[in-house]
Amino acid sequence: MSADNIWLYRRRRAINLIALVLGAAATLFGLFWLGWILWVTLVKGFTALGPMLFTHSTPPPPGAGGGLANAFLGSLIVNSIALAVGVPVGIGAGMWLAEYAKHGKLGGVIRFLNDILLSAPSIVLGLFIYTILVKVVGHFSALAGGLALALIVLPIVVRTTDEMLKLVPSTMREAALSLGIPQWKVVMQILFRSARAGVITGILLALARISGETAPLLFTALNNQYWSSNLLKPIATVPVVIFQFALSPYAGWHALAWAGALVITLFILTLSLLSRLILSRSKVTHD
Amino acid sequence: MTETAPTLSAQTLSTVVSQPKLIARNLDFFYQEFLALQDISMEIPEHKVTAIIGPSGCGKSTLLRVFNRIYAIYPKLRACGEVLLDGQNILEPGYSLNRLRSKVGMVFQKPVPFPMSIYENIAYGIRHHERISRSEMDMRVELALRQSALWNEAKDKLKQNALGLSGGQQQRLCIARAIALKPEVILLDEPTSALDPIATGRIEQLVEELKRDFTIVIVTHNMQQAARVSDFTAFMYLGELIEFGGTQTIFTKPTKTQTEDYITGRFG
Repeated sequence: MSADNIWLYRRRRAINLIALVLGAAATLFGLFWLGWILWVTLVKGFTALGPMLFTHSTPPPPGAGGGLANAFLGSLIVNSIALAVGVPVGIGAGMWLAEYAKHGKLGGVIRFLNDILLSAPSIVLGLFIYTILVKVVGHFSALAGGLALALIVLPIVVRTTDEMLKLVPSTMREAALSLGIPQWKVVMQILFRSARAGVITGILLALARISGETAPLLFTALNNQYWSSNLLKPIATVPVVIFQFALSPYAGWHALAWAGALVITLFILTLSLLSRLILSRSKVTHD
Repeated sequence: MTETAPTLSAQTLSTVVSQPKLIARNLDFFYQEFLALQDISMEIPEHKVTAIIGPSGCGKSTLLRVFNRIYAIYPKLRACGEVLLDGQNILEPGYSLNRLRSKVGMVFQKPVPFPMSIYENIAYGIRHHERISRSEMDMRVELALRQSALWNEAKDKLKQNALGLSGGQQQRLCIARAIALKPEVILLDEPTSALDPIATGRIEQLVEELKRDFTIVIVTHNMQQAARVSDFTAFMYLGELIEFGGTQTIFTKPTKTQTEDYITGRFG
């Protein structure tokens, strides 16, 4: 080996070391903040957790005692509406994109529009529902909140369904179609079965995403201090209650906001872990 | 049966084989503008095994995929000419694709069991075409598995996921799935190219048994396989049918030099 080469290798090793150190430092920097956020949420949240959190509704000012029961119920209702609307429509549209509009121009256009919707700021979606529903009807409602969140769920589900169906090998399609089974049945009963794990994961991630959304709920579902399950009335949701309580001057409300934040964080963490579990399980069964 | 069939010469074909099951007449096939099959005319005899051989890209799989029109699921592919199944032109727009595919089954190169149980893999197709009772279904599934020589291995795990079977078993399951619909013709598209020699041997043995009930067309890369399992052989080259006749004749005294060159390994 010539002296030139040795010099070259030393140089490369040095550059490699610098890149490695910078990369590791960037990772640690990112993880540090993430760890800090989690730590603060855990500590503040756990100290605020009380037996009344799930049994009592939000307390009036100055906010001593009480819980978040009405907000949990509200989030459950609003998220259910969002999934009930967004998931079937999203799966249907995703199937159409992947199986029927594969080669057409229209499919490409719709896929592009869906990607735009996917990255639309959530406050814009809230504003949209506010304009077409809340203003027309004249009052805020759980339904409006659910629909605003459905607009967030929809593009996520469309995208994952589309992607997951595209991953199913074309030989599976050919094998099923060559049994003389019509295409819609092949898609619904065979291809979708192969893609199911991925689609469920997409739905869980969509749920995780909307569970923390606040902006689109502010002017659709608004808030409600009392226990309510009326779809046509304003309703409390966990993120909005956190927003309101955190900005308040009362210590009791602050504590409840932290407790809510902790519950949401743990919920989203669980959803993420669950979706990973489902994906890794499905990989084992698929060669 | 094995004694008589392969010794037929091309000339005596028409007298012994009373009626051809599948006839191609002046068949052209296009991938967009590319002419992949050119003026193919051939008669595939009933209850015989017909092998299609030729080098890669010669159009043998394409021809097979015309016979059940599976090519039709992709845009910009088209076939011109006639393909007659029992005298009816399957290329006519009015011919029901689902009916065609229930009569002409297909098994692919790579085994593709559906992501469901072994039992369901077979029952699924039957259920779509016929309304039958639970016990009848059990019998049909068993029959299909017996016909495809999988029953002994699968009978104790019918409820298990089919993806847990070995490659060779999966391929026999795919054959079972196809024959469960009681088709008249079975198309095999290089059915053993993803399998080990033992699994290949079992499939070949199975083909031999299946020709009693079905008309079989097999595309293969493996010339020994064609010689072993088929009664008739078609040799294709660059989208054209070069020679078609009794397997014995094609492999011992081919009339075209191209056939001879391919069979003796001078090209391809």
